[in-house]
Amino acid sequence: MNRLKQWVKTITLYEIVAGMKATLSHLLNYKPVTLQYPHEKRTLPDNYRGMLALLRYDDGTEKCVGCDLCEAACPSRVIRVISAEVPGEPTKRYAKEYYMDMTRCLFCGMCVDACPVDALGMTREFEWAVYDKRQLHLNKQQLLAIGDRSFPVREKRLELQHPNTAFFNVAFKHVPQKPV
Amino acid sequence: MTELGLRFFLSLTQIAVVVVIVIVTVLILTLAERKVLGWMQDRMGPMEVGPYGILQPFADAIKLFFKEDIVPAGANKFLFTAAPLLALIPAFIGFAVIPWGPDWTLEINGIIYKPFVISDINIGILYILAFASLGAYGIILGGWASNSKYSLLGGLRSAAQVISYELNVGLAIIGVIILAGSLSLVKITNAQSGWFWHWYLFAFPAPQIFAFVVYVISSVAETNRVPFDLPEAESELVAGFFTEYSGLRFAFFYLAEYANMVLVSCIAAAMFLGGWNAPYPGTILELLGFPSLAWIENTMWFAAKTYFFLFLFFWLRATLPRLRYDQLMRFGWKVMLPIALANIVVTSIAVYLFPNS
Repeated sequence: MNRLKQWVKTITLYEIVAGMKATLSHLLNYKPVTLQYPHEKRTLPDNYRGMLALLRYDDGTEKCVGCDLCEAACPSRVIRVISAEVPGEPTKRYAKEYYMDMTRCLFCGMCVDACPVDALGMTREFEWAVYDKRQLHLNKQQLLAIGDRSFPVREKRLELQHPNTAFFNVAFKHVPQKPV
Repeated sequence: MTELGLRFFLSLTQIAVVVVIVIVTVLILTLAERKVLGWMQDRMGPMEVGPYGILQPFADAIKLFFKEDIVPAGANKFLFTAAPLLALIPAFIGFAVIPWGPDWTLEINGIIYKPFVISDINIGILYILAFASLGAYGIILGGWASNSKYSLLGGLRSAAQVISYELNVGLAIIGVIILAGSLSLVKITNAQSGWFWHWYLFAFPAPQIFAFVVYVISSVAETNRVPFDLPEAESELVAGFFTEYSGLRFAFFYLAEYANMVLVSCIAAAMFLGGWNAPYPGTILELLGFPSLAWIENTMWFAAKTYFFLFLFFWLRATLPRLRYDQLMRFGWKVMLPIALANIVVTSIAVYLFPNS
């Protein structure tokens, strides 16, 4: 009986007809999942990790203190920092040169986590296709420019804090906390 | 104008009109296939060129025209050039005997000619089958002349497949030929006039339903379409027999494939679904008092039936996966062939028992 049923299904092309019914139902209830990408873009998730950028304080000075921790944290050796003393202030350092080779970056965000002064940020930019891959070798000015256009609202410099707190991000009770 | 010159002119006009119609249909099909396939798979298909992508065929054609024409090193140049033409010409030549509209005769300066069929020869369907099998040479030679493994494999597969399935096409058609008593497509179509149960799909002494199913399946296989697209299996053979082709020659193969689809659909419509006959006797336009415009309705019916088959091709492509090679051969020889033969026997007996129906 079961074999007879199977045979009838075979000669009436039952399974093929069932499949064709499925495809036809998709044609009739046409709801495309396509996003017409250059014309319409998807909403990015809140924690989207896009292009990296260097940030500034609201008075326009760079946040980066040239500590090299991002370079140490980077798993694919994207970052190269050349650190130097701030002229006239022997206790302060800054990044004299700062390079990122974005051809290698895998957007893990470990440099951002490693930064003690929150000088690095991940923007929501992702359209960075270029014809010449040397254009993805970014210097400090370019990275700061990305930060400027992606984070127009800048963090205030914490004026009350001891100069060393900026280095080590140590929270003192008498110093106002940075917003997390 | 001499009589010969006039005949020549009339024939050339008809040929030009038919070729233009077929090429326009192919242009529509290339877009329609991608659109229908997209819609069935919850995509949109081409959307960029023109509103909703309707100018995509022209963009494709322009791109193919301006592409570099590459002949691979070690290829047999003569056969490599001849193969696309060998595939294209048989695909187009079959349209000469397809009746597009009612079987009218016009008389111009004493020359009687039929406006809706280029040439009503008495072996019409045999002529189409003969040229359709010549089309396989284009594919095989294209595969061989490319000097590439994938092309050769595609060509060999196509040879085996076309030979086994053309047999089934021919045998499936014989039932209809027995019923009609003629090989001429015009006579076959005329014999199906009246209500739709006079169509040979449902005709009284021996409904050709099984022959129809065999014909549709075999014609899908013969035109190398999914699920029988082994000669050009993308996932196995890059592009099969036209892997090495580019530019205009590739366009010829492409055109030949789609023209073959149209031809096969036209034959199916003419032989099994009554061709240009409406599903009711006569035409509505004739009843409304426009007998000279009745051909529009008939031609529209023919187009509707043909496009139904072309839609079926896309539909099958969206639904079914590709067959394995041994499945293809077993299905062709052990399933389709016995059904087609049995259909001939049954039809012959039925026609013998009811000779006058």
